[in-house]
Amino acid sequence: MVLKLRLARIKTPGGAKRHHPRYNIVLAHARTARDSKPLEVLGTYNPIPSTPAGVSEEDVKEGRARKVKEIKVDVSRAKYWLGVGAQPSDTVWRVLSMIGLLEPKYLPTGPQTEKALKAVRFPTHLPAASAGAGATSTGDSAVTRTTKDNARMKANTGAGTTSLQNAKEA
Amino acid sequence: MYDWLKGPGKAFRKPLGGSSNYLSAYDKFGNLHRSRVRRRDQRTDIDEGKGNDVEEDEESAAQRDMEDQSLTDDDRAIRAEQREMAREARKAENEETEERGGVPRERMSDMRPYPLNQQFRSQPVLSEALREQLYIQVSVEERDLLSVAASFGVDIRRVAAVVRLKTIEKQWEEEGKTLAKSYSDAVLSMLPTTPFKPDTKKAITPHEPINDLPVHPHTRQQIFYPASESRQFTREDAAKVFSAKLLPADQRIPLPMLVDLEKWKLGGLDRQQRQARQVQKDREAREEAAAKEAKRIEWEARTQRVVKGRRWDFQFQDISAEKVGRDGRGGEAVGYRYGMPHVDRKRGIVKIPTSVA
Repeated sequence: MVLKLRLARIKTPGGAKRHHPRYNIVLAHARTARDSKPLEVLGTYNPIPSTPAGVSEEDVKEGRARKVKEIKVDVSRAKYWLGVGAQPSDTVWRVLSMIGLLEPKYLPTGPQTEKALKAVRFPTHLPAASAGAGATSTGDSAVTRTTKDNARMKANTGAGTTSLQNAKEA
Repeated sequence: MYDWLKGPGKAFRKPLGGSSNYLSAYDKFGNLHRSRVRRRDQRTDIDEGKGNDVEEDEESAAQRDMEDQSLTDDDRAIRAEQREMAREARKAENEETEERGGVPRERMSDMRPYPLNQQFRSQPVLSEALREQLYIQVSVEERDLLSVAASFGVDIRRVAAVVRLKTIEKQWEEEGKTLAKSYSDAVLSMLPTTPFKPDTKKAITPHEPINDLPVHPHTRQQIFYPASESRQFTREDAAKVFSAKLLPADQRIPLPMLVDLEKWKLGGLDRQQRQARQVQKDREAREEAAAKEAKRIEWEARTQRVVKGRRWDFQFQDISAEKVGRDGRGGEAVGYRYGMPHVDRKRGIVKIPTSVA
């Protein structure tokens, strides 16, 4: 059976409520129900942007601070399951591609593939040889190379943007 | 009423400055109790001549001690020191009385605002100067709360509250808000206050007992605990009898370092040695805090990543999925639970956050 990495909306106390989504990032068999007990819980995903501790709403409004979406994930487990063929859902794909575990599904903008993704890699998912040397790339893949040229104009756009910015890019 | 206003109540039309002026400080003819007592003291002093140890000069007292064969040299030194201290105290008192225009300081019996409630004594509040000094010590000179509380004789919680309120006060002054200064002055002039006199010999007056042992609920029970006579049963053992996790009393008091200080004093360490030890202890505490901070920074560098988005940031944290344990219900596991009962309503499990990140 196909293994999937996907989100599960968990309604236990402290979990999701009406207008209050909270997700577990789980590894589960593809044909089981979304919220059923998974093979493994790999982390959590809070899709509501929240103000971090010590930051007020005013700070956010005046641009001194930014809201954050909190994502917790066991990077080494996720990497392992991807390595043995688990299929990430679109959302999980988007999330994991932000920290460079996957190639982004949609063609992203320049800094994302060139710098940002590598900058945020965790030591746990660097290849063993380069782990000591820091976050160095092992060479661009084909997808990355194709996106390198046409995305320089969007240098200011962050890595979180994986949706299509420009139809020509695709 | 008019009779009273013209007679004994006259004193209250123009109240004494810097005094609490409670009704019980005056007799029924409107005379201050304490000034009468002082006059009587002076009269008896004159009558008895130089019978008082404090009043006679040092030379004659020393001479008298030398003649007394039952005293050793150490005793004589101690007695001389005591005389010196008493003289200092008397001098300070007299000076203060002079400052107040001949009216001595309030005694405990003058601190009764309710004449029918003899037991109620008005407690002093922090004076404006002392509050300002506490704020300066903590916010400007950045001394830690514990040592400020210990050196000024003010409860730690009170120091913290003063600093918080002073911060708001300064902020309001900066914003141009008007403060109810006249109101606070009026109230403070009517209450006994703990002074702070920076340029005098005795700058600091202890405000309250600062090292009281808080009563832990576990210690409220009476326990009959048999222990053999040959066994040393210490406060550590007593704490364990009350509850397995209860800290001993020496560690539960607000300022345990004061106990250490006293122990060193009793152990015969002189002032310099004590100071050196204290400095070393402070340095160790600072190093520990720095190491903790370095560890936290290292942990953040290892596990935290922030990915910039267009409208918000994505904050990633690398966690371990294996904390769920064998049965899948580990307390520290990340992720929302599957059909596991919460235990946070059990007795003794604190649900509210106990620290702020």
